[in-house]
Amino acid sequence: MSGALDDVIVLDLTNSFSSSLSAAFLADFGGQVIRLDLLPQTHTKAQKTNSHKEGTWNHEADLIHRNKQSVALDPNTEQGCKLLAELVDKADVLVTDWQLADLQALALDYDTVCKSNPGIIFGRISGFGPEGPDKDLPAIDELAAARTGMMPILQQPDQPPVYTGAGKMHAMVMLCFGVVTALIHRQATGEGQQVDTSLFAANMYGASLDLQAFLAINEDDPQRDRLLNPISRLDVSNPISGSLYPSSDGRWVTLTMPDTDRWWPLLAPEVGIDVNDERFDSHEKRCETNRLALIEELEAGFQKQSGSHWRAVFAEKQMSADVIEQFDYPSDDPQVKANRYIMELDHPSHGKVKSLGFPIFMSESPARLERLAPCIGQHTEKVLHELLGYSEDAIYQFTTDGTIA
Amino acid sequence: MTKALEGIRVIDFTVWFQGPVSAQYLADFGAEVIKVENPKGGDQGRGVRSMKALPMGDWNQYFLVINRNKKSIAIDLKKPEGQEILYRMVEKSDVFLSNMSPHLLNKMNLSYEKLSEINPKLIYATNTGYGRFGGVSKPSFDMTVQALTGAMARLGEPGQPPIYLGMGSGDAYGGIMSAMGIAMAIYQRNKTGKGQSLDASLYGAQLYLAAPYLQSFLAGDEKSALQQSRKEVENPLWNLYPTSDKWVYICEENTDERFAAVCKALGHDLASEDRFSGTEKRAENNVALIAALEALTSQKSDAELMAAFEANSVVSSPINNLADVIKDEQAWRNNYFMKAYCEEVKREVEVRGLPVTLSKTPGEVNTLGPQLGQDTELLMMDLLEYEWDQIEEFKAKGAIP
Repeated sequence: MSGALDDVIVLDLTNSFSSSLSAAFLADFGGQVIRLDLLPQTHTKAQKTNSHKEGTWNHEADLIHRNKQSVALDPNTEQGCKLLAELVDKADVLVTDWQLADLQALALDYDTVCKSNPGIIFGRISGFGPEGPDKDLPAIDELAAARTGMMPILQQPDQPPVYTGAGKMHAMVMLCFGVVTALIHRQATGEGQQVDTSLFAANMYGASLDLQAFLAINEDDPQRDRLLNPISRLDVSNPISGSLYPSSDGRWVTLTMPDTDRWWPLLAPEVGIDVNDERFDSHEKRCETNRLALIEELEAGFQKQSGSHWRAVFAEKQMSADVIEQFDYPSDDPQVKANRYIMELDHPSHGKVKSLGFPIFMSESPARLERLAPCIGQHTEKVLHELLGYSEDAIYQFTTDGTIA
Repeated sequence: MTKALEGIRVIDFTVWFQGPVSAQYLADFGAEVIKVENPKGGDQGRGVRSMKALPMGDWNQYFLVINRNKKSIAIDLKKPEGQEILYRMVEKSDVFLSNMSPHLLNKMNLSYEKLSEINPKLIYATNTGYGRFGGVSKPSFDMTVQALTGAMARLGEPGQPPIYLGMGSGDAYGGIMSAMGIAMAIYQRNKTGKGQSLDASLYGAQLYLAAPYLQSFLAGDEKSALQQSRKEVENPLWNLYPTSDKWVYICEENTDERFAAVCKALGHDLASEDRFSGTEKRAENNVALIAALEALTSQKSDAELMAAFEANSVVSSPINNLADVIKDEQAWRNNYFMKAYCEEVKREVEVRGLPVTLSKTPGEVNTLGPQLGQDTELLMMDLLEYEWDQIEEFKAKGAIP
């Protein structure tokens, strides 16, 4: 068995969590990802991450830099600059979230890079896309999410807007998809190109259904208001689809049963409503005429039993409904473990730990964990020797004069 | 213009949202995607409008946008003759994609074992609810799976109900994850000549979506599973604030320099107060600082505030609504929105465009979703090379309409 991307050399020039994770994602599936750690770095050999406190497990680095190699070099020296250019020439893919001006300063922008390496796939996560007046705004997910139009409507009425953090994660998979799609094109033609996805675009796609509805609905249609203001959970348009009800132990249940004709006969007796109750005996009555009365009944009905009770009922009747859980649920769910969505691993310094696994199963080229985050510069010598062909002596010289570490 | 996935043929045996979105990505970049549908009604997603489950315009945007650039063939797979047609498609295709349950696919004689026997180069992709392993096979919808991941429970102010990440959010994420898996399998097959089977589930994709917070939880940070108030965030300069109308998001590091810029924009000398001097004190007295900032921002309109922020280079954005975003020039300039002709209403309509920009082989939106079975006869003749009398026979037996 081999990795799907095991002939692909990727240069990782990223700063943010999600962009770094996109390079790790390519590495998970076999890509030879070389993280460029530019010198001078401050004192430590460990990868810097936002959440890390000294002495504890750097769980963030071991996720977003797993399976990577690290090369540390100083691009401000002439020799370091030359090594950097040589690495770029060997790369099939470059992944970055840098601003254009920063890339240009080190001659790492696409226009420069493609002159000596026309086959390169240059993947970038931008803030707002490659064109337009805001193309140089920084790649900050909160800014992009704020522009997307969904933040004011996710929460209950009179609550502050909500930032979900999902956009940047959506963007990182989009970038990986774009890069691999470009690799497929290159297999056929030898042609490289630029791939851009933006945090703005990714936030928009996460909001795709509401956004597309809004595009399609005429300006004078009252449905528009429902897409501009938060809807109370006690005012949803279908009481048994997209709704939330509290159970007796404070855990919430959620239902997605849009076809109420099909589900009502199964659900009604469980929540203590007579199936033949004339107020609710048609889809029309349940979702239009007596909608609010039904929501009230369900609110009372679900509070009579615990979350576990409802989970058992939903399972028994094969209903598309479930209990809203916290992270402790998936982290102990045998289903999650069986599919390697979360893995247990033996950490050399921290013993048995759990870490996020792999969201895609592939029978012939499965993702694998080959190594945890590299120390800064851990693979400099190896990469300079094996990929760029430098002798031990030359590498020693680079180390002595501070070009590499 | 050349297309990146030119020459890739995909059998799209999917319904509703996640599966169709996955195939939509492939179709946008030039793959020939053929939707295989039951002649009686086809993809249930076609019926969303009549169910009134979602807000809808005068055209069926739910179905037509995620099935754009696709063909449709109507086949009754319950008939042996229908199966024969599908098997011939498998011989001539690169990818088989389905979001039916593996159990149902087995029952229909559409398992990986069966189809890869017909075409060993086939990439067989599923979108399950909860993964291929572990045995759970209950019904899965976007929101009910999102509920299990813990992503909803951590959102909102403490004490408020959990928050859904948006209609179709989980499906959209599962869809791109699936497209990514298929693209990798195509790349791999182009090297080795061998197909494989793959799965991107709603559960797996949405757990990955929660990565920044879930990974912290796994490492022992229990707070990351819980709702956190915006009134208590550690860095008050990276937070959302109300104005007299729209809210605004300020995204600044907690440094003296950036704090001074924010204070200057707000026209108030908070920076001179001892309790807010220095990064650490601002983090320590975060609740008080957030309250103080909020008192100032609420007095201004968002336009006024944004102008002041811009003058002081404070990184910030107004929190827009959907009416703002559909007019956002940046979205149109990058083809995140596009126009396409809609047969149903005989006019151009506005659609979600292309979130991934490939400079030399850009995606395209040529047609919106197909009518049920509109390409059946043509595909039977041109692709599957049946003679006309054979086609008549299939029709007589009810394998095709």
